[in-house]
Amino acid sequence: MKKIETFAGVFKARGVERRDFLKFCSLISVSLGLAPALVPRIVHAMEHKPRIPVLWLHGLECTCCTESFIRSSHPIAADMILNMISLDYDDTLNAAAGHQFEEIRKQIMEEYKGKYILAVEGNAPLKDNGVYCMVGGQSFTSMLKETAENAMAVISWGSCASFGCVQNAKPNPTGAVPIHKIIKNKPIVNVPGCPPIAEVMTGVITHLLTFGKLPELDRLNRPKAFYGTRIHDKCYRRPFFDAGMFVENFDDEGTRKGWCLYKMGCKGPTTYNSCSTIMWNEGTSFPIKSGHPCIGCSEPGFWDNGPFYTRLAEVPFVASDSGADKVGMYAVGAAAAGMAVHAVGTAIKKAKNDSDSNPTQEG
Amino acid sequence: MANVNLVKERYIWRLPVRIYHWINAILVSILFLTGLYFASPLFSAPQGGEATWYHGMAWLRYIHLSSAYLFFANFIFRMYWALFGGDKYARFGGFKPWKFKWWGKPFKEQMASYLFLTSKEPHYMGHNPVAAIMYFIFVLCGSIIMIITGFALYSENNPGGFLAVLFGWVIPLVGSSYNLHSIHHLTAWLFPVFFITHIYAVVRHDIVDRTSVTSSMITGYKVELEE
Ligand code: HEM
Ligand code: HEM
Ligand code: SF4
Ligand code: SF4
Repeated sequence: MKKIETFAGVFKARGVERRDFLKFCSLISVSLGLAPALVPRIVHAMEHKPRIPVLWLHGLECTCCTESFIRSSHPIAADMILNMISLDYDDTLNAAAGHQFEEIRKQIMEEYKGKYILAVEGNAPLKDNGVYCMVGGQSFTSMLKETAENAMAVISWGSCASFGCVQNAKPNPTGAVPIHKIIKNKPIVNVPGCPPIAEVMTGVITHLLTFGKLPELDRLNRPKAFYGTRIHDKCYRRPFFDAGMFVENFDDEGTRKGWCLYKMGCKGPTTYNSCSTIMWNEGTSFPIKSGHPCIGCSEPGFWDNGPFYTRLAEVPFVASDSGADKVGMYAVGAAAAGMAVHAVGTAIKKAKNDSDSNPTQEG
Repeated sequence: MANVNLVKERYIWRLPVRIYHWINAILVSILFLTGLYFASPLFSAPQGGEATWYHGMAWLRYIHLSSAYLFFANFIFRMYWALFGGDKYARFGGFKPWKFKWWGKPFKEQMASYLFLTSKEPHYMGHNPVAAIMYFIFVLCGSIIMIITGFALYSENNPGGFLAVLFGWVIPLVGSSYNLHSIHHLTAWLFPVFFITHIYAVVRHDIVDRTSVTSSMITGYKVELEE
């Protein structure tokens, strides 16, 4: 198979018009929060920079990240992945199979030493020597370490790779851990979400290609451009929140009028993602827009944060079914009961003391 | 203990302590009630009308956050007074709970008295050691946790802003924004628990010791008694 060396080359080979190509570049620059002046730089990079091979590994996962990625709103983005990335190595999308396929991975690792990107979907189970996820007879954990060795950077796709997601929800039977717990010596970008938004995924790749480095990351190693603010702070229902106009039931007046879903357990106030701006499915909608509370899918430990339809239902580090208010109310109850008992004790003691002392004196 | 004579009135709680105390008590109550309310708002705005007409939640947050700044300032003020005020009854002085010695005789005697293990009622002009440890755990540590987690929560509104630079590290420390809310919310309950025991202890001491301790936090004076 002849290799195509730049993204633009791939687009051209696929018959994509230049106009569409430029549109794609400006879309990406907007979603990355870059100044319009930088669009030419993206165009230039796309046209001239050698493409960066991506090895896309799949650990314990459900493939929702891949599903999301190939549905990127811009047709070119879909092309980009299918032609540029999957070509090299992706268990889900590759034509090659078996040993031949593993050979490709090894070949890329050698040929592009220090230049390829390792993208990981899913995470690695550590329990029992990693037998809970085997790829081609090798444990995924060891494959991951091996492939990361020569990588330029690591992309952790989705909540699984970034934070653990459902695999490491309590009680985490397979001992699954996110990628950054295994790979410590490479720059890692977390792109959480279950799945992440397609445009966010293409945005991260484009940034890497254009600037040759990871985008600016926040304290949890997420790209600031996409995970900088909470859903709640950009939610179009926020005026209803501020006004105190809430949906109380999924069949009430407020639902029809599109009021705030806070009381339906919306996790928007504790969730960092781009859903309320970039949205899903070619910018069509996102959960809150279609009347469903955010479940906080891009947050660490979101499966352990209680039922989806109750806000702060559980204090994750205390116990299951332990609402803060419940714990608090028990504590207050216990304190009140304790004080009441103590008051009785005090009364008895005082009566005893008083009768012991001189009864003629007041007081 | 029933036969007591009033010896003299002694000025114990100087103005800075009293001011701190009452500002703190009022603000903690406001913070607790507003916080609890906007965590799970009971009422909805009236049906009908435009969202822009109502500001219920926004106002409560505004009250919570402005009270929070005052609460913080008041706390700093009290810390200043404890460290540099030179006030015998308000400084940290011998309060060293991390030292084994501190938990010695005075603490044990006071605790024994509270647990009815002895009929003695130790007297203190300032805080007794059990009271001091309560203030330390519930009010000092509680306030610090509320301030740190509170400002971290507030910093989420403006990522990259001043507060986010100062307090943003708290989120990765506790794991997630959700955990941060949970900690702030759970710690808030320290205050009503403290409130109940505190009021009980004050009233009880007044009845048992008759040192007019209840009003002392208003007037500043306690009476010294002699059996
Ligand atoms: C949320 C409400 C309250 C909080 C957080 C609170 C907190 C405190 C704190 C921190 C102290 C130590 C004072 C210092 O050294 O600065 C104190 C002492 C005191 N408080 Fe309160 N207080 C509250 C409500 C009240 C109320 C309603 C009363 C009135 C009955 C009261 C009466 C007193 C008295 C008499 C003392 C001195 C007791 C002693 O000798 O230790 N407090 N309180
Ligand atoms: C005694 C002190 C305080 C108490 C009892 C208190 C109580 C509460 C409670 C119960 C909540 C609801 C938490 C939730 O379920 O999400 C809350 C939220 C909050 N508190 Fe406090 N708080 C205190 C001090 C502070 C301080 C010092 C700040 C600093 C700015 C602060 C800032 C906040 C913020 C930003 C929120 C989140 C508001 C929102 O979700 O819209 N609090 N507080
Ligand atoms: S629907 Fe959710 S994210 Fe939107 S304003 Fe309400 S609580 Fe916030
Ligand atoms: S709205 Fe919330 S739960 Fe839904 S996809 Fe976005 S972050 Fe995930």
